[in-house]
Amino acid sequence: MTVLDQLKMLFGRPPVSAMAGTAAVKPRRRPPTHHEKAVQKQLDELRRRRRERFRILVCIDGSEEANEALRMAAYLGRPDECDIILLYVRHVDHGLASGGLQVRVARQNMLDWGIELPGIRDLREGLELLKSEGMTLEGWTYSIAHTDVWGDPLGDNKVEYRDETTGRSIVLKLKTAPDTASGILDQYELGPYNLMILGESSRWHSEFRSIFFGGSVVQKVAMLAPCSVLVARKGSHQKTGFFICTDGSARSTDGVKRAAVLAKTCGAPITLFAVAPTLKGRPFAREAVENARALLKSMRIEVAHVKVAVGDPAEQIVRHGANYKLIVVSDEGRTRLQRVFKGSVSYEVVRDARTSVLDVR
Amino acid sequence: MSATMSSMTLARDSLQAHEPSAGWSTWLVRQGYQRLLVLRAQIDLYYFWEKRWFFFVLGFGALMLSLAPPHGLSQEGWVMLIMSGAATVLFITHPVPLPTVALLIIVGQVLLVGVDSDIVAGNLMTDSVLFIMGSLMLAVAVVKQKLDKRIAWSIVRITGTRTVNVCFGISAVCGLMASFIGEHTVAAMMLPVGITLISLTAQNPARIRNLSAFILFSIVFGCTTAGIGTPSGGARNAIMIGYWQEFFYNPANPATRRYVIDYLTWMLYGYPLFIAQLLFVTPILYFTFRPERQDLSRAVAKLRLQIELDGPMTPGAWLSVFIFILIMIGWITASQLIGMGTVALLGTCAFLVTGLVKWEDINSGVNWGVVLLYAAAISLGVEMQTTGAASWLADQVFALFAPIGLGSGLGLLAGVAILTAAVANTMAPGAAVAVLGPIVLKLAGPTGADPIQIGFITAFASAFAYLAVASSPASTIVFSSGYLKISDFLRVGWRMALMSMILLLLQAEFLWPLIDHWR
Repeated sequence: MTVLDQLKMLFGRPPVSAMAGTAAVKPRRRPPTHHEKAVQKQLDELRRRRRERFRILVCIDGSEEANEALRMAAYLGRPDECDIILLYVRHVDHGLASGGLQVRVARQNMLDWGIELPGIRDLREGLELLKSEGMTLEGWTYSIAHTDVWGDPLGDNKVEYRDETTGRSIVLKLKTAPDTASGILDQYELGPYNLMILGESSRWHSEFRSIFFGGSVVQKVAMLAPCSVLVARKGSHQKTGFFICTDGSARSTDGVKRAAVLAKTCGAPITLFAVAPTLKGRPFAREAVENARALLKSMRIEVAHVKVAVGDPAEQIVRHGANYKLIVVSDEGRTRLQRVFKGSVSYEVVRDARTSVLDVR
Repeated sequence: MSATMSSMTLARDSLQAHEPSAGWSTWLVRQGYQRLLVLRAQIDLYYFWEKRWFFFVLGFGALMLSLAPPHGLSQEGWVMLIMSGAATVLFITHPVPLPTVALLIIVGQVLLVGVDSDIVAGNLMTDSVLFIMGSLMLAVAVVKQKLDKRIAWSIVRITGTRTVNVCFGISAVCGLMASFIGEHTVAAMMLPVGITLISLTAQNPARIRNLSAFILFSIVFGCTTAGIGTPSGGARNAIMIGYWQEFFYNPANPATRRYVIDYLTWMLYGYPLFIAQLLFVTPILYFTFRPERQDLSRAVAKLRLQIELDGPMTPGAWLSVFIFILIMIGWITASQLIGMGTVALLGTCAFLVTGLVKWEDINSGVNWGVVLLYAAAISLGVEMQTTGAASWLADQVFALFAPIGLGSGLGLLAGVAILTAAVANTMAPGAAVAVLGPIVLKLAGPTGADPIQIGFITAFASAFAYLAVASSPASTIVFSSGYLKISDFLRVGWRMALMSMILLLLQAEFLWPLIDHWR
């Protein structure tokens, strides 16, 4: 049975991603050259192998918030089939700011003195943090790869630690990009990844303001990432439990199923939550959580608690979910324009929550 | 994993990853819905979002072009004004690679204003641009000489090991060097010195955050305050000298000879301000970031060991110091005759001929796009003046300044200084002078101010871009070390800007009239 068949069986209909996956191997109109074929075959094989693993991309910058993201990655990525990729994005200088002298010259000078560049130091500290969270790399092999990008010879650097028995890997990636957010999104294209984890940002513009003034890296990635995004917040590692929200829609039910699998593999207790906008809608909210509970039961996943609240959905989720390790919300799949005018509950929760939030896509 | 989970694995069933969108050549051959999906993903991810300012500028520019020019402004002047505004927005937001803005300026002058393409091409390579190009090449050549350790050691030998003294020594030496060879060169050279002192003081940088900021900002402000000292301190100075000569100098009229500013004259105006600012740098930094350690003797001892391991100065190092001194003498004595750019290029040739630096290093160390950008920005400024757009805009600025007491005298100078510093904080100082230069120089007409004084105020105030990381070369380079936070720049930047502004206006009021009289 192929992966696609299993997905069809589990989810009823194949997700778009799976369809796109099959399209990638469709024969081209123009017959490819021998070399192209070989490269394509290699890429397809690599991608196929990667899709069988749960890949977490953790974006770090050396801050406290980034350490929280690392702790969260260590927590979620314990099973053997999880790969963790630590990413540090370094800016390419536009030249005007450095007066026309490439910043690379200064960086090269630092290397000549034997000083570590900040990205390297942060990645190494990140790896140490993963080890302190219980990940042992003993007996693992490692390989180093380097690519020149954006005309910067310091370019992209990758160190991959690999456990040959389980196939599990931890990758440290130092990447050069014109800006951090586009570097992270570009890294997804090289992936794919199942989940991106970022530390909370202190700067978060409203949806409308962000069109003109941009936003923080976290905001941009949360807006544009094609996969699920987890925003880690300080202090959430001391809490327990997944706080999974549903509104009864097909999309959110799908999100509940997927998050519940993750919760089960982590051994975390699940609390299901639904919000009714008015008292009148309370029975519908109750029905939504009960349906979700029944669905998870059919998947043999236990639900610890169910909760229902009345009021503004984003506000209630933020309030009731504050004491859990992770709030899980499903993305409504709205476009940017729709979000500007209609708003987005998941987006508001990601922005305002007082604990870590997983936005499932 | 439990037996119940055997039919579903984590990778497939939890947060299934989407297939990344393939390259454009692949989606072109895809059919129907697939193609639409991938196209939408591409647009969402990169294109319109990343380039929103470019499209906004393009659309708004087209709209403005369709309107009639304001009263008193020619059609050509109107077009130049729109182009200048568009270039400014693109400089600040850089939605497209910056050299693209330069190319658009060149193409725009030919296509929209109708200037002959030979004239546009001729405007691109002035002595100022040659100088900017030459000094950037020199910067790479100087950084490659590995003189930084020697310089660091000689600083410490003079100052001793007290933190405050070391930091003052670093600022003073950075300043003295940066005033001649440009702030970016010195920042790139001295950054490892600063980081070595930090890393030799404590293993954990978090424990000495204030000390780190104190040392690194001593480099930054030593360099930025000195950039105004001589014409070779930064691209902006060369640009202003070029504008004076272009707009006011007439070879047939000996009275206009004073608008040809030589190296020494610039130093007369710039150096006192640099020295006055330098005296305040260390106290301001000390009171903003009180260092955790008052003594750096441990770090200095280790630094000394590193330098002793390197052995004595090589003949190559002595030769590069000699060439370097020759270049400085050339700038001071011969720049009037053969131009500052020629001296800089001669110096670069000397470094290349003696084999002290390889062309490959220069080629990869200089951002050629920036040279092109300055060339295009200067030609835009010249066209702004020729078409009358600069005069018209200057009149508008005057109309704004006059009612609030900034219409003449010291008020005008203060207004120009604040305007320039504000613009320089949003984009690089060189670009700020290139864009603002023609306008503020034209302000001299209606206000009766001296164009030389207004020009100096603009060039000097553009160096007060202390608030933003990306607005001064030294800040950007030192920030790239990863030891500083953006908030640190804000914390100390406003104090520095305030101090510099007060000193600038005091000198403009009391010292410059004396220099004018003496000249």
